[in-house]
Amino acid sequence: MASDAPETDTTARQVADGLAQLVRHAIPSARDIAFTGLTRSAGGLSRENWSFDASWTDVQGPHAHRLMLMRDASGTLLKTERRREFDVLKALEGSAVAAPAVFWMDPDGQFLGAPSLVMERVAGSCDYMVLNGARPLEERLELAHAFLQLLVDIQAADWQARGLGPSLGVPEGSPAEIALDEWEAEYHRVQIEPHPELDYVLAWMRRTAPLAQAIVLVHGDFKPGNALIEGTRITAKLDWETAHLGDPLEDLGWITNPVRRREHQIPGHWKRAQIVEAYTRLTGRAVDDAALAWWNVFSCWKLSVIQLTAVNEFVSGRYNRVFQTPSWLFRPMLQMMERAA
Amino acid sequence: MRPSVEEQLLGTCRILETVVAPAVAEPFARTILDNLIANLRMVTEALPAVPGFLRWDNAATQDLLHKLRGAVPPELAGRIDAAVSAPEPDGDDSAAQTVRNGVLRALFAEAACTADLAAELHRAIQDHMIARASRVPMRYVPTAPSPAPTPTLRP
Repeated sequence: MASDAPETDTTARQVADGLAQLVRHAIPSARDIAFTGLTRSAGGLSRENWSFDASWTDVQGPHAHRLMLMRDASGTLLKTERRREFDVLKALEGSAVAAPAVFWMDPDGQFLGAPSLVMERVAGSCDYMVLNGARPLEERLELAHAFLQLLVDIQAADWQARGLGPSLGVPEGSPAEIALDEWEAEYHRVQIEPHPELDYVLAWMRRTAPLAQAIVLVHGDFKPGNALIEGTRITAKLDWETAHLGDPLEDLGWITNPVRRREHQIPGHWKRAQIVEAYTRLTGRAVDDAALAWWNVFSCWKLSVIQLTAVNEFVSGRYNRVFQTPSWLFRPMLQMMERAA
Repeated sequence: MRPSVEEQLLGTCRILETVVAPAVAEPFARTILDNLIANLRMVTEALPAVPGFLRWDNAATQDLLHKLRGAVPPELAGRIDAAVSAPEPDGDDSAAQTVRNGVLRALFAEAACTADLAAELHRAIQDHMIARASRVPMRYVPTAPSPAPTPTLRP
């Protein structure tokens, strides 16, 4: 096994060694395994992202691939399962959804020290603010439509035919209630002080949870920052660790959430009304405004819990970025609740 | 007492920015450092406002608990009575004010979720929550990730 990682970079060396073990485990006949250009990128709040080129020879002959390793960080914003992401990416291979091919998984960190996935390194770059960046309006609008089409493609994926029911779990009952159960448990796990605001909003959500029109594949963190773009083409949707089966309005609620409008909307051209109208046109699914508002509130509440996870991890000494109690989300949630009432 | 706490914190930010940060080439470490410096600057500005915020919040939460007291179950009302009748900590003792803040806010969390509260109580609860959120001195400071060293392009 060879790697051009600097000898002094212990972490890179450990990653290279772990990758070699993972390849040998996945492909017992592999020999002449080599990794070049192993580099950790700065992005990723929940995981370490390492890019590298891999080559090896096995019984089928020589192989060379451009790959990306995603390894759980020691402290993380989200406690998730690599197996879920692996299963979703495998299931989406050959579908209309732009997603990277997945190669190997180390679900328990047996080889890499933390749960990890290795996937194809797809062409393109990531830009959180691409819809409001320096590109001409025409291009940004084209991308906005492409993002919505991608969301619709994800929802159109036949999760039953692709075998995702057993691995993701089919909701029994209201997906909204199930989402609340999951995120309330996370809230109580990470809470280190009283948050009356979040308890109050949670009580409202419990009283008003909507029913779903259908059960679809939900990405769970649908945003430009989780996609690769080349020109005006989305080449891959990434970060499927929170994917699940649920309400079609969940991802739509995430992208129409007013507090994230700078990421998802274009002032004067691609706002909530236009997004909902285009979504209805593409899917034939009517959108209940009260139900969508509920998912907007849920999006803010879930975001609050994710930030509290970061606070908890920071004070526990496991996370190296400083977050604060998400008080900036409280007013928008209360205002949305008032409008919904 | 010079350098003051503020001068020391600001000086630390300046040294980290001008001396340490330029020497950190690795993008992930640089992103972490940028976040730490930005947060340290925020804390430096926020620190003087923390004692006043805690005093205001404790007084406002106590007033609100008085309003809610008659609408909550008797057991919770009893705990509210016990908490609000406890001696108030020294206004300059931020640690004691923080402890009291935790006690009052835990009671407020329960009281605010009581079933079938009157509309005017919901209004009071929401007004307080919005007022408090606008006064909180500590704020998350987002920082953009440093660019990765090489583009991820397929041949």
